[in-house]
Amino acid sequence: MASEYVSLQNIKFLLHDVHRVEDLMQYPLYADYDGDSIDMIIDTLKELADEYLFPYLEECDRFEVQYENGKVKVHPQILKVMQMMGENGWIGAPYPVEVGGMQLPHMVAILNEYIFAAANNNLNGYPSLTMGAAGLIISFGNEELIETYLEKMLTGKWQGTMALTEPQAGSSLSDITTIAVPTYAGHYQIKGTKTFISAGDYEGIENVVHLTLAKIEGAPAGAKGISLFVVPKSRVGADGKLQPNGVATAGIFHKLGQRGYVTTQLALGDDDNCHGYLVGEPHHGLAYMFQMMNASRISVGSHGAGIASAAYHASLEFARERTQGRRWNDRDLTLPQTEIVNHPDIRRMLFMQKAIAEGGLSLVLQCTRYEDLHAVSDGEEKEKYYLLLELLTPLVKTFPADAGIQSVSHGLQVLGGSGFCEDYPLEQYYRDIRIMSIYEGTTGMQSLDLLGRKVQLNKGLAFKLFLGEMQQTMAEAADMPELQKYAGQLKSEVEKLVGVTKHLGKIAATGDIELFLADATPYQQMFSLVAIAWQWLKQGITANKVLQAQEKQGDDLKFYQSKLHTLKFFYVYELPKTEALAAAITSGENLTVLKDDDLLI
Amino acid sequence: MKIAILLKQVPVKDATLELSGDNTWIDEDDVQFEINDSDHYGLAEALNIAKANDGEVTVVTMGPDRVKDSIKQALAKGAHKAIHIDDEEMSSTDPLTRAKVIAEAIKDENFDLILSGLQSDDFGYGQTGVLIAEILGMPHATLVVETEILEGKIKVKRELEGGWFQNAELPLPALLSIQSGLTDIPYATIKGIMMAKKKPVAEVDADDLGVDLDTGAFKLQKIYTPVKSKETVVLDGDADSIVSQLIDKLKNEAKVL
Repeated sequence: MASEYVSLQNIKFLLHDVHRVEDLMQYPLYADYDGDSIDMIIDTLKELADEYLFPYLEECDRFEVQYENGKVKVHPQILKVMQMMGENGWIGAPYPVEVGGMQLPHMVAILNEYIFAAANNNLNGYPSLTMGAAGLIISFGNEELIETYLEKMLTGKWQGTMALTEPQAGSSLSDITTIAVPTYAGHYQIKGTKTFISAGDYEGIENVVHLTLAKIEGAPAGAKGISLFVVPKSRVGADGKLQPNGVATAGIFHKLGQRGYVTTQLALGDDDNCHGYLVGEPHHGLAYMFQMMNASRISVGSHGAGIASAAYHASLEFARERTQGRRWNDRDLTLPQTEIVNHPDIRRMLFMQKAIAEGGLSLVLQCTRYEDLHAVSDGEEKEKYYLLLELLTPLVKTFPADAGIQSVSHGLQVLGGSGFCEDYPLEQYYRDIRIMSIYEGTTGMQSLDLLGRKVQLNKGLAFKLFLGEMQQTMAEAADMPELQKYAGQLKSEVEKLVGVTKHLGKIAATGDIELFLADATPYQQMFSLVAIAWQWLKQGITANKVLQAQEKQGDDLKFYQSKLHTLKFFYVYELPKTEALAAAITSGENLTVLKDDDLLI
Repeated sequence: MKIAILLKQVPVKDATLELSGDNTWIDEDDVQFEINDSDHYGLAEALNIAKANDGEVTVVTMGPDRVKDSIKQALAKGAHKAIHIDDEEMSSTDPLTRAKVIAEAIKDENFDLILSGLQSDDFGYGQTGVLIAEILGMPHATLVVETEILEGKIKVKRELEGGWFQNAELPLPALLSIQSGLTDIPYATIKGIMMAKKKPVAEVDADDLGVDLDTGAFKLQKIYTPVKSKETVVLDGDADSIVSQLIDKLKNEAKVL
């Protein structure tokens, strides 16, 4: 078992110095917070993760969720985490004071997700999903729904979920068939099957509240006919007591990773007695649900970055202790063996891990900064932050997940044969992180969203704003002799990205949408590399300022030197991969588009 | 009920420590500090007793300006107010001197109960609490694992060696040092963190207390970093010979048999 999983110094560096969380304090919404209180919150989250989550990482994996006679048995620590998170106000933290929240900036709230996922990603999903589901009720629910559900969910007594996917409708939600029939009593009768529902049921929790997508009988076809309902496992009867609500757990899934995080299949209304309560207006369900899904996508990005961080710390710890061979220029076999961290190839893998984990977290904080600025601004400014957040959401969901998998794989490789064994946590991190590229919209779907919608959003304004944000960073870096080279390199990469975007735009103009979107994923990968390079340049600017001041010593000095070194590593080893991606996208070969003969044999 | 918790700030557990130039303490420049681990249990017990007895918990901390961070943390975890004894100019590490200063600073507060942790993680003397009790003329009990407030007195259970326990009753006011692990340690909440900013912290300058800082009872001459040494010896021979050599080394060199 490794001893560490995140760096508080890195978190505080990114939060305060790079992304300037203190800027938010000038706005009334966040005026109660200051730098000290935010640091105390971060420290407390780490203490809680040390006590409630990290020690149970391996147990949650080995004590796989069990399903017997319709009951779901999970690790008992889940109930303790839900109770702790609820009683101490963490589930409602980002929500308004009026509904029981603490108006915590999203930049800080996301670090709860990050730290907890790094500590034990089998446990953090339970409160995280409850937070998201409660957020939908706060935003769109009527007074009765708020009165009935909110307090119980925010205090961790009731679990919240999002119930979207059906066996025949995963990424294509317009094809869901769960039906909602209105009744004279005001509620709807729900009938259907929901699958892959995380935290959908488990023993010991009082109730589970499913924020469920369904179509009202007679609704328009497709996404425009989808409505959002609260469908509790147990409904509140006239006597105020809970009674069964026709939600049956048909089974659970046995998964590659996250074996302590239950994934259920739910049968709704098999007994024709499943009440659903409409949230907001009929047929607006998908738009409402996107509030939770967008937030969840940023959360998934933070989880990917968190697991990548935990893997990096575990690999580094191993590499500093494990001795093997001697340095290539030091072949005296009578000398003791050297720690493997001294071998260049091991260092290459460790730097790659660090570059991805810390670059990914920086992008997560960049996005949540936009989220917070959107919340406190008006007019054009508000629109600007909305567009930037919309554009970057597919990237922040995908890069820490996809590159995070590579990063953890490198971490496993650092351990050699030991990495493949259960004695070390790398094999579990490798299995656990794999889902991040799949749920909350697969990498393919995120890439289609990026190229098909977000780049074109508001006639390309979102993309232009993003270029403007990067331009500011490049201009600042260009004034620093130590960073000029990298500012120049990023400028070339941005020009390349713009060129590829224009190339794809020409294909779109022909009306051949399938061809236009065929290379959406390579495009997203290229875009992501540029976005992460931007984040590393931002970190480099901050670190360089500190180094130029010559006030740091010892470990502190090394921290900032390491930041600059990792920036260089990313620009030398990772960023140039855009060249191959651009070549593939613009090749004109169109090798993945189905033609007359399917050659996949 | 007025309860005080004596809380100390110590270097974080994984800090890289360098000795100061005169080898009497560590170089604190690049070191981070935290609440002494066993004091968390004292704070937890103080909060539990206060909750059950409509009490008020005051954090008492001596140290330079940096200890305010630990005071804030304790307030965020539920303590009601604090006294910061600023000893910026006082370099004494003598537990008797420190006890005299703290006792002088709190003597007029008329606490019903003063709690401390078991011992500090830096010096580990475990003496400051009981010395304060002696100075203030209070009964005291160490290694306390259970408490029960009675009318005008407190019943405690003490953990002794060899699995033995001792039950005792002390008249109030009294001072207890709490055994680590007695109760779950408290964590701050966001609400607690925000409220902590508004809780009162009384500042006391140690130099103004008129305490003689030279007791002469204790002088720290020098501290050392343990010398790391590792020597691997390969024992040759058949199994009987290796066993004999091993037993000899365990008996006469390692002296563990």
